[in-house]
Amino acid sequence: MLTIFGKSGRYCDGVSRRSFLTIGGLTLGAFGLPNLSLAALLRNEAETPKRGGLGHKAIINVFLAGGPPHQDMWEIKTEAPSEIRGEFRPIATNVAGIQICEVFPKLAAVMDKSVVIRSIVGLKDRHDSYQCMSGWLSNDLRILGGRPCVGAALSKMYGPVDPAVPPFIGLAAKTQHMPWSDPGIPGFLGPTYSAFKPDGPGMENMKLHDLTLERLQDRRSLLSSIDNLRRDIDKSGSMEGMDAFSMRALDVLTSSKLVDALDISKEDPKIVARYGDGKPYKYQYDGAPTCNEHLLVARRLVEAGARCVSLSFGRWDSHGQNFDLVRDHGAKLDQCLSALIEDLDQRGILDDVTVIAWGEFGRTPKINPSAGRDHWAPVSCAFMAGGGMKSGQAIGATNRLGEYATERPVDVQEVLSTLYHNLGIDTATATIMDPTGRPQYLVESNPIAELI
Amino acid sequence: MLRLSLFICLAMLSAILPAADLSIALHDGSAIVLNGLDARWQLVVNQTSDDGQTVDATRVATYKIEPAIGQIDATGYLRPITNGSATLTAEIGGASCQVALEVTGLEQPQPIDFYHQVVPIMTKAGCNGGGCHGKAAGQAGFKLSLLGFEPQEDYEHLVIESRGRRLFPAIPERSLLLQKAINETAHGGGQRLTKDSHEYDILRRWIATGMPPGNINQRTIERIDIWPQTRQLTKQANQQLSVVAVYTDGSRADVTRNALFESNNTDLAKVDASGFVQLGEHAGDVAVMARYQGKVAVFRASIPLGVPIESFPPTRNLVDEHVFAKLKILGIPPSAECDDSTFIRRATLDICGRLPTAAEAQQFVASAEPNKVEQLVDRLLNSEEYADFFARKWVLILRNKRDSVGEQAGSFAFHQWLKDSFFKNKPYDLLVRELLTASGSLSTNPPLTWWREVSETESRVEDTAQLFLGQRLQCARCHHHPFEKWSQADYYQMAAFFSTVTRKEGPTPEDPMFVSRVANASAAHPRSGQSLRPTGLDAPAANLTPADDPRAELVNWMVDPNNAFFAKSLVNRYWKHFLATGLVEPEDDLRVTNPATNPDLMDALALEFVKSHFDLKQLIRTICTSSTYRLGSDANAHNLSDTSSYARYYPKRLSAEVLLDAIDQAAMTDSSFETLPIGTRAVQLPDTGFGSYFLDVFGLPGGATACECERLNEATLAQSLHLLNSKEIQAKLISDAGRAAAMNASSQPLSELVNDLYWSAFARPAKPDEIAAIEKYVSERPDHKRQAMEDIVWAIVNSKEFIFNH
Repeated sequence: MLTIFGKSGRYCDGVSRRSFLTIGGLTLGAFGLPNLSLAALLRNEAETPKRGGLGHKAIINVFLAGGPPHQDMWEIKTEAPSEIRGEFRPIATNVAGIQICEVFPKLAAVMDKSVVIRSIVGLKDRHDSYQCMSGWLSNDLRILGGRPCVGAALSKMYGPVDPAVPPFIGLAAKTQHMPWSDPGIPGFLGPTYSAFKPDGPGMENMKLHDLTLERLQDRRSLLSSIDNLRRDIDKSGSMEGMDAFSMRALDVLTSSKLVDALDISKEDPKIVARYGDGKPYKYQYDGAPTCNEHLLVARRLVEAGARCVSLSFGRWDSHGQNFDLVRDHGAKLDQCLSALIEDLDQRGILDDVTVIAWGEFGRTPKINPSAGRDHWAPVSCAFMAGGGMKSGQAIGATNRLGEYATERPVDVQEVLSTLYHNLGIDTATATIMDPTGRPQYLVESNPIAELI
Repeated sequence: MLRLSLFICLAMLSAILPAADLSIALHDGSAIVLNGLDARWQLVVNQTSDDGQTVDATRVATYKIEPAIGQIDATGYLRPITNGSATLTAEIGGASCQVALEVTGLEQPQPIDFYHQVVPIMTKAGCNGGGCHGKAAGQAGFKLSLLGFEPQEDYEHLVIESRGRRLFPAIPERSLLLQKAINETAHGGGQRLTKDSHEYDILRRWIATGMPPGNINQRTIERIDIWPQTRQLTKQANQQLSVVAVYTDGSRADVTRNALFESNNTDLAKVDASGFVQLGEHAGDVAVMARYQGKVAVFRASIPLGVPIESFPPTRNLVDEHVFAKLKILGIPPSAECDDSTFIRRATLDICGRLPTAAEAQQFVASAEPNKVEQLVDRLLNSEEYADFFARKWVLILRNKRDSVGEQAGSFAFHQWLKDSFFKNKPYDLLVRELLTASGSLSTNPPLTWWREVSETESRVEDTAQLFLGQRLQCARCHHHPFEKWSQADYYQMAAFFSTVTRKEGPTPEDPMFVSRVANASAAHPRSGQSLRPTGLDAPAANLTPADDPRAELVNWMVDPNNAFFAKSLVNRYWKHFLATGLVEPEDDLRVTNPATNPDLMDALALEFVKSHFDLKQLIRTICTSSTYRLGSDANAHNLSDTSSYARYYPKRLSAEVLLDAIDQAAMTDSSFETLPIGTRAVQLPDTGFGSYFLDVFGLPGGATACECERLNEATLAQSLHLLNSKEIQAKLISDAGRAAAMNASSQPLSELVNDLYWSAFARPAKPDEIAAIEKYVSERPDHKRQAMEDIVWAIVNSKEFIFNH
């Protein structure tokens, strides 16, 4: 059964399965709206039916814009001198031998379901989300429009799970420093595969405004009485594609799935409270607020059918007041990220959803005169959970001063490769075609062996 | 009853005599010579029936070799057994033919040649493909050069790297290379060879004999020849191919089983690893490419539908001559010519990127002038809208972007320069020359905007090759082109033409100067470091002094009437613009291995274009006044599935800009684009810096590449939602200045109003049933007449007849 089309019967209205197949490489997408290629159709069809789990694989990418201080997060450098060590003490987690910063007691309590990576290398000192979203730098393959991010690649390769829910959604509202709210670029795949943004025009078109559904249906019936051009003369499949999609467009407008998923008033208040609200917003200046509820919205979207949700959480660029900032942002992150992990686990979908929280680089070992830490690209860190990974691990370590990865340096592309792996994509073999007709790998590293 | 005359055709026979005489002539001797233990030969046997039709009988014939110095299997694949001379006989049902066979060189083993024997095995088995060990990072720690283009590197990786653990001469079977290849040791790529294969045996003996590196300079491959090169075949027929490598020392060897084959249309023909082609159920043209050691060759087959064609429309010019000749061969009857309404809408959309007005359409339909089509085409070509539309086409592939407000002066001026050039019908060679040799200050020389935007030498080389020569050189920047003969040397020799260009700061960062330095133009080969002189593709090195601007010499080479790429690339690009499908697809990828569906037409159009001194309007005139361009898009009983022979006009969706303008024209509204004056149409946008959700959602390219493929014409759900439910479209429908309001306020009968709308949207009157359907719709909504009018306009602009040019 074509579960991808939701309620059966509607889809078959006028477009036979056979004629749909002949449509070929058409896609539903643009601007994060559902994409559907023939390949995706078949793949979706082949997907195993829901059995308790989510039914598809997804990721939630929490971008800690500005670059969180790696030494104040998941690896406290207790043996470093005071001008480096900072104000935090480590606390035990529920996994013997793994300690993290005292600001994160709730995450410490879900450590058995999670992974920390303390030795991410390969990041560049750039204040943008490119590397965390795609594994590449903004100038890689720039001539063709850049490398696509995970969400765009998923949209291209898999299409939507539910036609009314975009496969790739970016939740961050535009920040004053725009690269911090960039949900990841479609790169050479083109705008058809870019993130759907709930504040963009794509969303507007998915809601009814002045027109009633009845009026739209009237228009459709008038159209069908005069729209008589023979369809099969167009071998590109475009004409039949348009017919199929206009029918689906009406379905989308009658479905409230996306709108509902974005509306947390429909959520159990106890669960909403568990995530916290992130207020009062502090330290965000030109970055995103610490919007805890975005993590809840992300979970709702993933459940509704999204494959990749990215968001920007706070502004971690702590050139001054580093420790106050970590106390503020960290406590909020502790609350919502631990809530998300528990929530996914309780719903039985943690194995299907990979959660990652990380930033564009680490911060200087030496504390500056403003009690801040500056940019430090040689090493960074990440907190991950779910996706079927071997959890309860801390991967890698830095030296005594937290300057460099001494154990198991993990390249940023290995992290992306792991995300792809959890999504069922083998980065050693999967390629997507760039506009020059050359197959391009998604990333050039293999997944982190310790995690898979 | 077949008259069974049978030929054995050794690859590249220059003369084949009828089997009756049983004499076979070889152009390089009179026999098949197998020299050495590893020599092989793929026979191809033809059977010709009474009516002259030749079919492949390689797998039907029975063979015998007397005396038995060689062995031949049922697929016609021959291998040596012992030295000597013999006669090979092929036989089918009493008819037979013979060829002499000679086997030599078996008395002593010859060393295995790494370059000519080992590397091709790894290429054929896929070891060094881009998905495996051939990718830049290698695979699982073992790296080979892509498709074996750098054999010396491969030798080192195999023999020396990893402390030599990959090969083990003492017990060759235990070598990791062989163990992995047959998957005896777990191999991510699975089993690639079988233990009893000839390939395995060659690798084993190469290892056992101490891995001789061979001498790569001893002999190199000059070319590969494929046989047959062209064939007319029937549906479901088979054809064995034979590939022979010709070496620089004059020797030849059959490499059929070592070559890689690929069909360009697997619906029409599939090909297996032994070069055996099997046709499907469809008629059409198909090409099978063979690749071996960086050389390529192509087999082309036409598969006729075989329908008798009663009549053709008049042959009006060379376009029809070649299109109809092809249709005749294929037996695909063309559709009838379209009516006047369809034609004026089609030509106006294709030449000017807009709908004809109701008045224009009515006038054209009413005209009894015998040459009204020619007059229309001329009128359209002389209009400013033609220049607007083609300037728009070119600004996008010439990447006329702007990243800041300051760059706007340049991008606007570049657009204006293009528009003027098209309006004045500047010869195409001159346009390219002015663009590619531009020097000085951007503010006074607008084409320098291209140089500002395309700022890296590599991009300039690649864009130039793709835009003006139809060659995609990108691959050859880092490695030998996998499907074409271009090497890295070819790439960097082209790059040398651009090596003297220098950017100098002008009064503002957005207004730089570009000059060609006085210097020896050269570029370094990225592997050898060798300094390469400026040289066109397949051309002798340019003779330049340091004072010359090498770019001028580049353009001299490009625009030379004998240049193999320049004119063809343009005529193909324009052919696709009008006929929806290029003679070569994609339109800017003119490879040997990607042949034109109608090579004669391609040659004739290119020749005419050169002869006309690169007159673009004349080219368009030739295309648009042909009968071919006038054919209806509706299919007859036979040509529905034709997609490349132009038996009918293939419909195309209006491009993003044209569609938006067309909706505005039908709805009598305007769209606004930032700072540009109201009334500016989308096709007049000078650069890519105008945000529009409508244009983006309908596939507007961002000017990121020189490829037309960046423009997407796929149907998407977002498009349907936008047409169905966007504020933008709704605003046009409810506009007080728009058509729905005017229809609502008019005292004219509804049928006349609908007729006007039909003329505007479709260049035709409404049919009675259409008027009836609309009248019924309005009459059912007596209290919502204005809304009903909006709904009518909506339905018209959402119809396929509107959204497509057909």
